Amino acid sequence: MNIIAIFISPLIALITGMFFLGISRKIMARLQWRYGPPVIQPVIDVIRSFSQMSISHGSLFDFGIILSLTGSFVLILFLPIGELCPLTSGGLIAFIYLMLLGPFGLALSGAIAANPNSSIGISRKFLLSLSYEIPMLLVFLSVMTYYGTISLVDIVKIQASSGWAIGSWTLVLPGIAYFLILPAILGVRPFEVVKASQEISSGPIAEFGGKHLAFSTLQHALHMFVGLALFVDIFLGGWTLFGLLDFLSGTAWFVILGIIIFLLKMTVVFVIEIFINAVYPRYRIEQAMNYLLKWPTLISFIGLIIVVLVK
Amino acid sequence: MSLEILLIIAFGGAFLVYFSGKISPKLRDGFAVFISLLLVLIISCLYGKNIEKTFYRGFFGLPLVLRINMLSWLFAMVISSIGSLSVIFSLSYIRDKEKTDFYYLMLLLVNSAMLGIVLTGDLVSFLIFWEIMSWTTFFIICYKRGSALAAGMKYIIMSIIGSMAMFIGVLSIQTNFNTLIISELSAKFTSASSGYILFILITFGIGFGVKSAVMPLHTWLPDAHSQAPTPFSAILSGVLTKMGIYGFILFFYFIIGLNKFLGLGPDVFNLHYILCWIGAITIVIPTFIALLQNDAKRLLAWHSIGQIGYIILGISIGTSMGVASGIFHMLNHATFKALLFLTVGAVEYQTNGVRDLNSLGGLAKRMPVTFIAALIGAFGIIGVPLTNGFVSKWMIYKTLILNTHPFLAFAALLGTWGTILSLYKFVHNIFLGQLPEKLKNIKKAPFDMQFSLIILSIVIIFFGILPGIPLKVINSIIGSAGFSALNISSIWGIASKTGTLNTINILTAILGVGVIVWLIFKVGRKSKQVDQYDNYAAGFPIPKDKYHYTVEYYAPFYRMAAPFLVDIFDIIYERIAKATENICDCIRKIYTGYVGNYVMYIVFFMAFLILIQLKWSVF
Repeated sequence: MNIIAIFISPLIALITGMFFLGISRKIMARLQWRYGPPVIQPVIDVIRSFSQMSISHGSLFDFGIILSLTGSFVLILFLPIGELCPLTSGGLIAFIYLMLLGPFGLALSGAIAANPNSSIGISRKFLLSLSYEIPMLLVFLSVMTYYGTISLVDIVKIQASSGWAIGSWTLVLPGIAYFLILPAILGVRPFEVVKASQEISSGPIAEFGGKHLAFSTLQHALHMFVGLALFVDIFLGGWTLFGLLDFLSGTAWFVILGIIIFLLKMTVVFVIEIFINAVYPRYRIEQAMNYLLKWPTLISFIGLIIVVLVK
Repeated sequence: MSLEILLIIAFGGAFLVYFSGKISPKLRDGFAVFISLLLVLIISCLYGKNIEKTFYRGFFGLPLVLRINMLSWLFAMVISSIGSLSVIFSLSYIRDKEKTDFYYLMLLLVNSAMLGIVLTGDLVSFLIFWEIMSWTTFFIICYKRGSALAAGMKYIIMSIIGSMAMFIGVLSIQTNFNTLIISELSAKFTSASSGYILFILITFGIGFGVKSAVMPLHTWLPDAHSQAPTPFSAILSGVLTKMGIYGFILFFYFIIGLNKFLGLGPDVFNLHYILCWIGAITIVIPTFIALLQNDAKRLLAWHSIGQIGYIILGISIGTSMGVASGIFHMLNHATFKALLFLTVGAVEYQTNGVRDLNSLGGLAKRMPVTFIAALIGAFGIIGVPLTNGFVSKWMIYKTLILNTHPFLAFAALLGTWGTILSLYKFVHNIFLGQLPEKLKNIKKAPFDMQFSLIILSIVIIFFGILPGIPLKVINSIIGSAGFSALNISSIWGIASKTGTLNTINILTAILGVGVIVWLIFKVGRKSKQVDQYDNYAAGFPIPKDKYHYTVEYYAPFYRMAAPFLVDIFDIIYERIAKATENICDCIRKIYTGYVGNYVMYIVFFMAFLILIQLKWSVF
């Protein structure tokens, strides 16, 4: 089971992530009364740029992007997708730390390229992630404290028996806070400050072409997948659907349907994010930080206080 | 090998090195390396020994005791190994400077004094070694003269205040219990009242707190760390601040005892809980002050304070995993902070003393080994998985979360995110980005410098992948303090019912996926190597030397947070110092130096006495 999961879950994540990139362009186009590219356009782009020649600024430039994609794939292995969770070690705390590898690799690769646009983009990325990590850590702490466990798998299991976390009145505030910072995690507007193609020529990836660009696109797709999957796992009950599937439990269908339900939940959340992306302009970095450190932080802080009082 | 001989080698060796330096510098260097490595060898042979013996009885009737157990062995090992790496690093660093013999003498004396502190079994010799350590450190901080003198003064004044407080504590223990032998004190303290224990903890706490730079007593550290010679900064930050931690652990869990310590004070105002919050504050504020620094060593110095916060938080939470994580983080901090300081030292040596983060850049291409070492050190202090910092931080978070202290855990996590920002800035501004023209001809560091860097990097990774090895030692320490042992049956992680850490899992995942990704990368078309100026700037030419984005790297954050991140305590202490100086100035006006004036004082005083006698006839 685990051996199969090791190969299947990265595949699922990659396909879903690329699909999300595709439908986001399609939905944006339809909202702007355009026809839009086909859904598989990002896949075509990746394959094409993979076969093109790229420039390289030395071995660290290559190492950074490899580390970044590796980090994102490793995250998938520690993430419960439906009932699949190939590896567990260290729970959510280790997961938060593993989330560092992707951005750090990209930062190394972007910075060694000696392009000031990349450095500015990376500086913005770190500032933005500091601002959204503060509410995010508070959210994670409320969940871990409330359920008394640090394991992601256990958090999903408890929700299977006691209902979705976002439905319980103690965890509704952290849930809202996570939803508010989700655009910043996904890097969509109004928090598109890192790439900001009109200002700093797409920031950290300014120097990437060919296979480097292909890898960074894959990394972005996986990163979006992780951000959404965490929301579904922690607040929307993972693979559970109000116990409607219980009669199937123990069969292979149960696992497969669990994955499908999980992906459907993610898609719904993602489409909502795309709608937000479509109607908002881009914040400046100061505005983004101000917003993130104000409302989501306040809400999640109150949420954590409530959890502590209840415990 | 008995402990007296160990200390004689340590102290005698220091003077031997000094005098051999008068004969030939080569001989001195050889002796310094030999003696520091010999100490590492002897101490590693003492593993698992439990010796306690009185070596001298005549000190005003007080017995002087030497002892070794697991706790002192671990600290002695850290002291001697970081010390020897620092000596090896010093070989090139200090070679062309003046007063080299004096430098080595002081460096080795500091190490010997610290060995003395951890190997003594009574509080008198503890105090004596403590004072030797303070004074030798003072001389070495002032080594560069100039502004270093002011930093040294600040350090020694705070140190003396600390030692005086400790001295009061020692006197009080002697009068109350009539013994100063540490192993006998634990029995005496079981009957002591909590008020008295609190008094003792405060007196010693001031001394230990100053040395380990806990938040309100930290102000000497940023100046001293940035002014000292860099190889010594590594010792200062990696080992010397840990002496305070050693004292805290000794008093909390070996003299006062676990149950007494955790039972001090009512529920929320329990002493150990207050200490936890002091630790949490010590994590957050200095870490974010570090983000504002532009001097590489000053940045690291502020992080030293922040990391001490984690250790304090770990040891005062009072669960077995918490205390183990505190001790483990102490060990880890010694490795990665020494490594980071030494990388700064290597850069400083190659660039003739440039430490300003805004005037370096692009050195990764010129100094690859130093860069990799700095990266590993940065990963360690951040706690990226597969480094030792990750394991100890994971243990701290886990124990905090599962004991429902989420706000403390939040402070700890927040500190980590501050660390990520400033350590990335550190690595980026020195090693990444555009290589300025003036640094074009920088060579890589000499081999003896790289040797220390490589050894420390290997240790960081090794303990990160196999944390069970150091945790075994720590397990027996916390076992002797009365905690239940951690389950580390496998050397690659910690098993428990509430969440298992398995580093080999993470290692295989990263390595496996990494190899696959690398192979896919290889399959793609080969890329063309380009120069650093050959890059995309949306049609604009990139001027040389101008486009390394470093100054105010996190500008929006600075604008937002800088007004709040002021070191209030430093300002307060400076004011007190100024006021004291003014008062002393006023008093000095009386002592003019003219004999005539003094005769006048005498005459006035006599007249005053006569007046009193005439009026009231008291005499």
